[in-house]
Amino acid sequence: MNTEARLQRAKEILAPFARETLTPEANRVDVVIDAADLTKATAALKSADWGYLSAITGMDLGPDAGQLEALYHFCDAAAVTSLRVRLPREGQPEIDSVADQVPVASFYERELSEMLGVTVVGTPDPTHLFLPDDWPDGVFPIRRDFKIEDAAPVERDTPKVPEQGRMGNKFIVPIGPQHPALKEPGHFEFAVDGEIITGARMRLGYVHRGIEKATEQRNWIQNLYLLERICGICSHTHTSAYAQGAEKLAQVEVPMRAQAIRELVAGLERIHSHLLWLGVAAHEAGFDTLFMYSWRDRETVMSLLEELTGNRVNYSISILGGVKQDIGLEQSRSIHKAMDYLEERIRYYLDVVTSDAMFLQRTRGIGTMSRDEAILYGALGPTARASGLERDVRVDAPYGAYPKFPVSLITDERGDLEAKFVVRLKELLVSCFTIRTIVDNLPTGELAVRFPRKVPAGETVSRVEAPRGEAFYFIKSEGGESPTRLKIRTPSLCNWTSVLNKAVGHQLADVPMMIAGMDPCFSCNDRMVTVRRKDDSQTMTWAQLRAYGIEKYKSR
Amino acid sequence: MITTPNLINKVVSGITTWARVNSPWIIHFNSGSCNGCDIEILATLTPYYDIERFGIKLKGSPRHADVLICTGPVTRQARDRLLRIYEQMPEPKFVVAVGSCGISGGTFAGCYNIVGHIDEVLPVDAYIPGCPPRPEAIIDGVVKLLTHLKNGTRPEPIKPQLGEQA
Ligand code: SF4
Repeated sequence: MNTEARLQRAKEILAPFARETLTPEANRVDVVIDAADLTKATAALKSADWGYLSAITGMDLGPDAGQLEALYHFCDAAAVTSLRVRLPREGQPEIDSVADQVPVASFYERELSEMLGVTVVGTPDPTHLFLPDDWPDGVFPIRRDFKIEDAAPVERDTPKVPEQGRMGNKFIVPIGPQHPALKEPGHFEFAVDGEIITGARMRLGYVHRGIEKATEQRNWIQNLYLLERICGICSHTHTSAYAQGAEKLAQVEVPMRAQAIRELVAGLERIHSHLLWLGVAAHEAGFDTLFMYSWRDRETVMSLLEELTGNRVNYSISILGGVKQDIGLEQSRSIHKAMDYLEERIRYYLDVVTSDAMFLQRTRGIGTMSRDEAILYGALGPTARASGLERDVRVDAPYGAYPKFPVSLITDERGDLEAKFVVRLKELLVSCFTIRTIVDNLPTGELAVRFPRKVPAGETVSRVEAPRGEAFYFIKSEGGESPTRLKIRTPSLCNWTSVLNKAVGHQLADVPMMIAGMDPCFSCNDRMVTVRRKDDSQTMTWAQLRAYGIEKYKSR
Repeated sequence: MITTPNLINKVVSGITTWARVNSPWIIHFNSGSCNGCDIEILATLTPYYDIERFGIKLKGSPRHADVLICTGPVTRQARDRLLRIYEQMPEPKFVVAVGSCGISGGTFAGCYNIVGHIDEVLPVDAYIPGCPPRPEAIIDGVVKLLTHLKNGTRPEPIKPQLGEQA
């Protein structure tokens, strides 16, 4: 089915609820509906199997308009349908939860309510996801009239120590916030019955900085450098997604050579990110040799990135309207040389992770997620593809140079941790191949075109495949020097739902590996775990928990 | 007989200084960084840069650590956690701030969820500027700190000024 047909179908499905139907861009249909119809419209899309809920954007239309707007973005391949719900700004804006139909929505709804002050009726967990515990009530950062002075910390007797103790006859194991998983130090609570996990909850926001709001105060160019620093691992993804969106709004045609260079850097970024992940995941399994090997090989990519862009981490290769640096003969030689080495190493790792008996004990058949579950939880990226779910923006909705230099989709049916290793490593071979193709067939032409200081009014959706899955950007301009609203939804947020749900029924010892399996952005290398059993309480560091996991498997 | 405890103290403190300088254990906390600095810190531990040459080891628990390496501006939610980790470390303890945003707030200065940079929350002994600093710079910073420890002094931190190049 092509994009038009998909959009046509979405229109038909949503026709009974539609107040108004808009077509802001060729691949999008926006349907304005009543707040009361939201759950029904979601159910209609869901039962017709139309796409998946990719993000919820909350917008404040300003005190003059007196309205708030929530946009529920559904994506089906390249087609994007947004349900737009208008809510009153004053009083108690309320909206029904869709989390019972789409579990991942519970994160988006928590965000919507704390950022914009919309009460989501029936959402499973109405507590803060990102904002700090001492945040004052009734202050919502995404509202237009938000002032930083209003957000002064308030005294609350929040527990100094994370919640722990019994829940019925279960025990709660708090993990974090100092721990190695995720770019943010997150906090988790696992309810355990003996060794088996029976419930899981999480709290983010330890590194929530308020970037979405900050983009509204900086100009289009400054934002590029701010957004690059959302994540030091997939920085290029964020600049690509943002630049692509801004360029669409400004109607700037980026030269093909620049697009190809962006894709090439994205390929290198994927290699560095997956090798990093391979190492950390191996480390969690107690396989430190693999950790050291893969990080040694990762330095090859890092040096290459430095040679091409001048930086090891935040490469800043993209600028609005193109790229900064060209790739010459000398660089292409280094690229081929590095690829020769990496391909050989990646094949070797592929062999190791599928044949090492000790390692397979930790990965084979652990955390298995079926295709249906992956759909239900809204998994993205390699986490989804390892369950046989064909979801890859590069293939479904090719952007930039991807139509010219396509990548092949890698999936695996098994859905366990082993499949996640296999999928990621095979993806690296694909990336190596694409990088070589690009270097050999680099289109000629300019590197960049002029980008205007002010961007014409409009809204756009920009989706890019990050190493961890789809990154979703919604950008709105009102013709000024900075965006009016910029919404970012990163892939890790979606994948958490699957991990938290899949953890239930598994052993506590498998948690580190399962968290590692979805490849959250790793940042800090330890975390505290307090395990409380009966009357004796015991504190475990991350290292001890890890060692405990390793020991447990040794003795089997 | 009065001199004996002094002598023992002297010997013991000599040994601990020797041990600390030759094998400082570090703990790492991200209080709001973008991760860029964190992966560069991790990179220093792996074979290519191999900071373990200096006996430096990354530890899981603050109670085992001599040096706290912090990255990122301090967010409101992470502030208490950062302080708690610092408090749990045994004396004498040292703090290294890695990265521009830990030093000055960097690109995140002015965001609503930021309390400030690291030295507004903790006393910092060494600053390593860069966004992110190269692994070599991180190693250099830590080794400079060690050189001071050998002399039994705390380094005089020279805070890089805003706008100054790393
Ligand atoms: S200094 Fe730069 S690279 Fe380091 S954490 Fe801050 S923004 Fe990221």
